[in-house]
Amino acid sequence: MSVSWEGEGEVRVFAEYQRDFSEEADVAVVGSGPAGAVVAYELAAAGKKVVLLEEGPPVVPEEFVLDGSLSMTRLMREAGLRTTSGTIMPTMQAICLGGGSLVNSAMCVRPMDFVFDDWCTNYELEATSLADLTPHFDAVAEFLGIAPTPEEVWGPRNELFARGCEALGYSSEPVERNVRGCVGSGECFTGCRARAKRSMDVSYVPAAIRAGARVLTSVQVQRIRTEGRRAVGLEGQVVEPFTGKPGHRVRVDARQVVLAAGCMATPVLLQKSGNLANGSGQVGENLQFHPGVAVMGIFSEPTHPRFGATQGYQSLQFLRDGFKMEVLWAPPGVTAVRLPGMGLDFKRHIASMTHAAVWDAIVSGKHSKGRVRARWRGLDPSLSYRFDSRDVPILQHAALELCKVFLAAGAHTLVPGLHGVAEELHGEEDLEVFRGEMKAGQFPLASTHAFCTTRMHGDPRRGVVDPLGRCHDVDGLWIVDTGIFPRSSAVNPMFTAMALSHRAAGAVAAA
Amino acid sequence: MSGWLACAALVAVAVWVLRRVLAGYPASSLGTLAPREAAFVAAASEAMFPPGGEIPESGIEAGIPQYIDGYLAAVPPRQRLLMRSLFFLMEHVTLFFGAPGRGGRRRFSALSQTQRQAALEGWRTSPSNARRTVFMALRSLLTMGYFGCPAVLQRLELSPMDIPTPVIEADLLYPPVGRARDGVLHTELAPDPAPVLGADAPVHPDFRTAPR
Ligand SMILES: Cc1cc2nc3c(=O)[nH]c(=O)nc-3n(C[C@H](O)[C@H](O)[C@H](O)COP(=O)(O)OP(=O)(O)OC[C@H]3O[C@@H](n4cnc5c(N)ncnc54)[C@H](O)[C@@H]3O)c2cc1C
Ligand code: SF4
Repeated sequence: MSVSWEGEGEVRVFAEYQRDFSEEADVAVVGSGPAGAVVAYELAAAGKKVVLLEEGPPVVPEEFVLDGSLSMTRLMREAGLRTTSGTIMPTMQAICLGGGSLVNSAMCVRPMDFVFDDWCTNYELEATSLADLTPHFDAVAEFLGIAPTPEEVWGPRNELFARGCEALGYSSEPVERNVRGCVGSGECFTGCRARAKRSMDVSYVPAAIRAGARVLTSVQVQRIRTEGRRAVGLEGQVVEPFTGKPGHRVRVDARQVVLAAGCMATPVLLQKSGNLANGSGQVGENLQFHPGVAVMGIFSEPTHPRFGATQGYQSLQFLRDGFKMEVLWAPPGVTAVRLPGMGLDFKRHIASMTHAAVWDAIVSGKHSKGRVRARWRGLDPSLSYRFDSRDVPILQHAALELCKVFLAAGAHTLVPGLHGVAEELHGEEDLEVFRGEMKAGQFPLASTHAFCTTRMHGDPRRGVVDPLGRCHDVDGLWIVDTGIFPRSSAVNPMFTAMALSHRAAGAVAAA
Repeated sequence: MSGWLACAALVAVAVWVLRRVLAGYPASSLGTLAPREAAFVAAASEAMFPPGGEIPESGIEAGIPQYIDGYLAAVPPRQRLLMRSLFFLMEHVTLFFGAPGRGGRRRFSALSQTQRQAALEGWRTSPSNARRTVFMALRSLLTMGYFGCPAVLQRLELSPMDIPTPVIEADLLYPPVGRARDGVLHTELAPDPAPVLGADAPVHPDFRTAPR
């Protein structure tokens, strides 16, 4: 069956830009990740003339690289080697059509009501309770077909997690994901060859194009143009995919400008545009993450870890205590890095991966903060972050609970990968270490969830945008990416970003 | 006169230091790694993944140096510089903080296998967070290189699986990188979902060279 794209919007790619050019639109959206793709589609569907600008290229399945680190050199900013200073922590942001949704595990988790109650109370936000946002979560869920991970693709890694939680009486459930027809390849990180993951490039972006949006890929937005107090458009440059080599100049005139470049890039863009929208002094401040701790458990039976949904099961049992437990899988080389030992001993640990599962806990990290600053050249951010000692007991508790779930699921050996803790633990008695005092430096942290760098606040002196994403200081300028979270979402952030973006679309359309 | 002597002595010391630090590496056939870097990566690969044990392939047999050579070429300049600095640091730090045993104050690549492992183990278990972080950076590179070897993946039953890729609507829209839209690979939908895999799913025939 042939499909025609005639008469509606279109996508433009690097090879087609022959000269400098300009565009005119009702709305220009920067960034095609979960937040940008939703707002672009909703506005195009509402009849607005939309231009969506994305620095990365579209990546087709024939080009997915199955090797984790080589894939990162193409799909991730700074080749996936971005780290914070201060507390040194690796973090990753994607650079491709679809943003983080192309490489993420598709977990769509609604925060509990207490998260939004905290946001409303402490950040003076109106109409931002879970009840207020539920219609927006529902609309996104329906569009993407978000559904619990089906049992046929759980595989041993996910099943053992369920078994361990059940034995301890902890709540657990299959993760709801934006996936249809998952085959259980466990390779969400390098792109879904089964075309099951409804990442933005295969869902909202094509829908936006159908509705008339023009999508300009391989265009790096470098500056927001203003006249007086009003945003009037953007300036940028064509960049070669994967190398970033600059090319033709691009200019967009737009009545409304929506920034969805992600919580690292959006503050840099504002800073590079003359410290725009920063009357509150909060642009680039308040950077928060969900620092994660991962434990590997080894079982007597083979676990066939390459089979099964990447992150198909989770437990929200301890969400109010500050952490969430979930199954984890990543390219094997990435997973093996934290195993202990040297030489033959390291190899022995690697060999045990055939019988292993890895589960992680993401910690709300609400006491820990950092900041994003523009470097003097280019748009890569300089990131600093300090993991606060008040968040350490939560990490400890999380590590303890992960170990308990492993033991309850039948693991005979636990490999916690923590400095100053035995390299292998074998039973409940070995877990005492997590009940004593521990230090932040013992945990090798990493996080792919980042937010709060352009936070919303009801008070313009204390936040960058209002609850609808409208900048307090600049007319016609909106922000919808995870940077607008006022505080950690406690759960995986993508779904919340999409719901907030869905709501903002209505306000942008009416502006 | 004594000034000249002092100068000559200084020059001699400098030449000796430079030779000890920078010179005397065998030529390398690798395109991106300099001979010094190639020697270090090879030595570190064998220390981290010696021959034998539960996975027979050593770091060299698994092709870690070639992998890192290609990886280094693929990363942006700033990250390349950081990696090069990492290799330089680790190769020469043992001149100042020697590995245990006789002759431990030599370049890393000139140490014995036992000394190399002891030096790396010192970084791995160091009380200093910074040293452990540096070690982890090196470990990450070498380990990813080790897992880039199909034989290693096969032994661990972790090879990527062969998955039929349906053609969905979006595949009619985007060309591969570098081509214009008239280069889109598909013109017809083939939306049949791929079958659910299992623990014994077949291995992707040419994953080493993917993208297909
Ligand atoms: C490996 C990984 C796994 C994850 N798993 C999950 C998960 O399962 N569930 C979940 O909820 N979250 C997950 N996350 C986090 C989630 O993907 C992000 O929170 C989410 O993608 C953020 O959406 P966003 O739209 O705010 O930003 P992004 O997804 O980062 O999108 C921003 C887009 O803007 C583009 N851009 C940036 N600067 C410019 C510029 N100057 N000009 C033009 N374009 C620009 C970028 O290229 C990018 O495409 C994961 C993240 C990673 C990296
Ligand atoms: S587990 Fe595999 S098939 Fe399922 S969504 Fe992820 S990449 Fe696609």
